[in-house]
Amino acid sequence: MEPFILFELAGTTYGVRSNFVQQIEMIDDVASVPNAHPAVEGVVLVRGQVIPALNLRTRFGFERVERDLRSRLVVINNGARVVGLVVDTAREFLKISPESIEPPPEALTGLSGHYLEGIAMIAERMILILNLDAVLDLEIENGRQDYGADA
Amino acid sequence: MDKPNADNRGDFFDQFLDDYYAECDEHLVAIRRALVVLEDEVHTRAVDRTLLDNLFRSFHTLKGISGMVGLSAAEQLAHDLESYLRELREGTVILSPTGFKALVEGVQTLEAVINARRNEQPPPSIDEIAARLQAASAESATSDVESSTGSDGTNVPATTPSTRRWQAEFTPTAELSERGVNVNSVRSRLQELGPLAQAKPVVKGAGEIAFQFIVTTDVDETALAALAADGLTFQLVSVESPQRSKDTQPVPTIAPASVVRVDLDRLDELMRIIGELVISRTRLEDQVKDLKRVTPPPVWRSLQETSLSMERQLRDLRESVMRVRMVQIGEIFERMTFVVRDLARESDKKIIVQLSGGQTEIDKFLVERMMDPFMHLVRNAVSHGLESVAEREAQGKRSEGLLSLSAATAGERIVIKIADDGRGIDRNRVLARAKTAGLAQGNAEIDDDALLDLICSPGFSTRDEADRMSGRGVGMDVVKKAIEELGGRMSLATRVGEGTTFTIELPLTLAIAEAFIVTVNGQRFAVPQSAVREVLEVESASTKVLENNEIISYRGKVLPLLRLARIFEMNYEREARFHVLVLGDETNAVGLAVDRILGQREIVVRALRDPLAQSKGIAGATELGDQRVVLILDTTALRQFAVTTHH
Amino acid sequence: MPDEIKTNNILVVDDSPTMRRMVITSLGSLRQVKSTQAGSGLEAIERLAIEPIDLMVLDLNMPDMHGMEVIDFVRSHQAYRDIPIVVLTTKGEETSRTQALAAGANRYLTKPFDPRQLADVVGSLLGRVDG
Repeated sequence: MEPFILFELAGTTYGVRSNFVQQIEMIDDVASVPNAHPAVEGVVLVRGQVIPALNLRTRFGFERVERDLRSRLVVINNGARVVGLVVDTAREFLKISPESIEPPPEALTGLSGHYLEGIAMIAERMILILNLDAVLDLEIENGRQDYGADA
Repeated sequence: MDKPNADNRGDFFDQFLDDYYAECDEHLVAIRRALVVLEDEVHTRAVDRTLLDNLFRSFHTLKGISGMVGLSAAEQLAHDLESYLRELREGTVILSPTGFKALVEGVQTLEAVINARRNEQPPPSIDEIAARLQAASAESATSDVESSTGSDGTNVPATTPSTRRWQAEFTPTAELSERGVNVNSVRSRLQELGPLAQAKPVVKGAGEIAFQFIVTTDVDETALAALAADGLTFQLVSVESPQRSKDTQPVPTIAPASVVRVDLDRLDELMRIIGELVISRTRLEDQVKDLKRVTPPPVWRSLQETSLSMERQLRDLRESVMRVRMVQIGEIFERMTFVVRDLARESDKKIIVQLSGGQTEIDKFLVERMMDPFMHLVRNAVSHGLESVAEREAQGKRSEGLLSLSAATAGERIVIKIADDGRGIDRNRVLARAKTAGLAQGNAEIDDDALLDLICSPGFSTRDEADRMSGRGVGMDVVKKAIEELGGRMSLATRVGEGTTFTIELPLTLAIAEAFIVTVNGQRFAVPQSAVREVLEVESASTKVLENNEIISYRGKVLPLLRLARIFEMNYEREARFHVLVLGDETNAVGLAVDRILGQREIVVRALRDPLAQSKGIAGATELGDQRVVLILDTTALRQFAVTTHH
Repeated sequence: MPDEIKTNNILVVDDSPTMRRMVITSLGSLRQVKSTQAGSGLEAIERLAIEPIDLMVLDLNMPDMHGMEVIDFVRSHQAYRDIPIVVLTTKGEETSRTQALAAGANRYLTKPFDPRQLADVVGSLLGRVDG
């Protein structure tokens, strides 16, 4: 059983392994970085470090919404990079066993393959387990390699 | 009464104030070290003569240079300290606890007087402490003082097993001196072999000057051969059988010839230039990449290689310059030891200070910024953490409390620990207090990290001396902020009844620059001052348009304007007036148009390492103390925007 | 043809680097003068051995070899007997001042000293008539 942190984005629940999560913060001042990737909201100061704040809604192709009091910055540290993820809300911990995680089906539109490590069904609830390396990798757009124009 | 410029002489020597402060600092470090050793000897009758000599000399020098720069309060105080030391050395007065206390306070006051001048503040009064020192000097010896006296020459000989006394003779010449072989270097090398009993000049037969040393050592002749190669001759004077001796250590000194004093400003300038080199090289790399398509592969590959080796060399250069700014953290540790002994003496606590890793090097800038936060933590540990002798014994602990200060490097960071084996922090009481202050709710358990956050919250401070268990006193929020401002982190580990450890991590590398803070469309940016030639205030009405570029007239020429808002694709409104920072030199000046200039600041440059955060025109980020990030502009990249984009 | 004006080499001896710099700067108004530094009595004597010295400005209280010993040494040897010596003493060292003059120092000045006065004293010892 591995511990996961769960967060919500556009009505869907996502999970990341908690050992990659350095901390969860409310979102204060984000300094916008001009000419940056559109999904990068800007940079923030976290524990003395200046890190990028990646808006997951934009990253995953959802419409952007105004941040509110429930919005959170999930600070990811995978050993090599420290990046903050802007999400709608985050306050759950859950232990998930590796066996409950199924690989993502090919047919899933929009997010097939690369951003997801898998999908867990826990008590009728669907939790999408993120593949952080893919999420943080700028070369990958919209969850798949650009093979050409696609809806 | 201290009149800084007592007479016409005072102005003339003002140019030496920086040297004066630097030399005072050096002497004060040595004095503090000596006083720590001296304190242990107060109660014994045998006081190390060398120690007294060195203290005497330090005060004497401080007296002299203070007089020269016109700081007469410091001169007077140093004079009183010197006089007291003179009496002590000559044995007419014995060091008593009262006398020692006067000595310590005299040094503290002297330091305060010097710092007052440095910060242009009124100096403290010296009359009381001066009177006490004079009184101490007037006490007469009531019994024989046993002090170890030096023989003819410099250091006290402490014979070691199987000792041999050698006479070494060194004849200096201009050639040897140019090679770095001179009386000082010879003397230090001899001191490495063993204690020196004598160092004196003699005139030889033909009138040439030589120096004779007597060194006691048990190394064999082959070790001496290396020195003989540099013109030294050796003669065995005597062989002595092993005998017990009093252990006296000469206070180590640095050979002046191998030390160069460097202005911290000059090093900052070097770092700034290196910073610019780094940015230029990155640009070069981009340009080399662009050339790939149009250059034959072998040519391109060697270009690429040159660019890469420059990257390596720049990294080495940067590290070397960083190393020059490094000082040993032992400096801070010693100061803290001094403070601890002071505090312990004033209360009924016995404290042992354990130091390790004093040779770990740390950037001098960090030392200056961290001195106060460290002092806070150490004071708190002594005042609130460690218990009195009675309390400790009642708990079955050793009567002396332990305060341990340690430092070590871990990759790109330095890790410093301040630990005590005292009361520890009671998290329940902290939580209770936090709830009352409205800083926390619910939660039965909080871990050490959360505990630290609470203690460091601005609303948390305990002013209540008696309330020792529930926190660490005033100032923890300031400590945390100082550490984070430098890019560091602090963590806590504590157990009730066992003690508390604060761990502070700081980055080894730091870059500081002077910058203008400007606003564009409501967002703040920092512009390195070194890139800005001039600053102008411009009326919108006076700008003109020429071939799609906005221009203004500047010193009889045309100055193209770069609107930052447009480069950064921000909305902007034309104001009636705005500010322009002139970048570049005569031939390629460009005006960076911003809304307003807010001021100038010294900023700590944080690199934007993550690719997601990088952007053309942005060189890094900083934070101005309000936890909000301010981006630093890359003016060279911005100037290229003027060339390549037509507005 | 006029005689070449000789550049005089002044040896400044004091264990405080700041003090040495102050002395050298004070002598800045003298023309045809260069200076050499020594941080101790031993170094000072080494300088005498290695290069020609025309005048010494000497602090008395130094580690290892007291300024008095330096004066004694210099005055007892033929080659250096005539080198002019200006001694710098501090307040409260009146007896040293007398002893220094008795041992062969030419002049003394008390710290803190007036830079112009030092320059004048040194200038006149070097046989200069400076305007």
